[in-house]
Amino acid sequence: MKKLMVFLLLLVVAVSYAAEQRFVVPVEDSPSQGPNNAPVTIIEFIDFQ
Amino acid sequence: MDTFKGKVRLVIKNYPYKYRDFSHIAAEASLAAGDQGKYWEMHDLLIKNSPKLDRNNLIKYAKEIGLDVKAFTESLDKMKHAARIEKDKKLALDLDLYNTPTFFINGRMVIGDRPYEYLKKIVDEELKNAKQ
Repeated sequence: MKKLMVFLLLLVVAVSYAAEQRFVVPVEDSPSQGPNNAPVTIIEFIDFQ
Repeated sequence: MDTFKGKVRLVIKNYPYKYRDFSHIAAEASLAAGDQGKYWEMHDLLIKNSPKLDRNNLIKYAKEIGLDVKAFTESLDKMKHAARIEKDKKLALDLDLYNTPTFFINGRMVIGDRPYEYLKKIVDEELKNAKQ
């Protein structure tokens, strides 16, 4: 039972960690609109075709 | 974007990988227009007219938005922005991206074309987080 509890706890931690994963994507000199200090930055990878 | 004026910055990275013919030259065209201060005008035209993105059409679009066509065409033919595009591509491969569009909203990955409402919900959450 104890083992199961530990397993479930680890599972919950793993799932919430995955949900919270944030990637660091450098902006560099890519085209942008909106203020540099905006609270939200959206980086979009596009293929025009 | 207008809904979030001043609160959201949108950054575009090129990931021309799906097709071999016009993906790269279209990315070049967008950045060449950017050199003349008209990135977003070209960006919108390319999306509107995709997949008609061959060299002749791109030059036609450049005329439509009033670019210096000679400079634009030179930029295309010399692939002036190849290094920037390759850098974006490498970044996309490092991130293991397999679809476009892929968004990172304050680093949170969203894959594929999603309804506006879905993206808005995430932006709203991030704005709320930022205020705390």
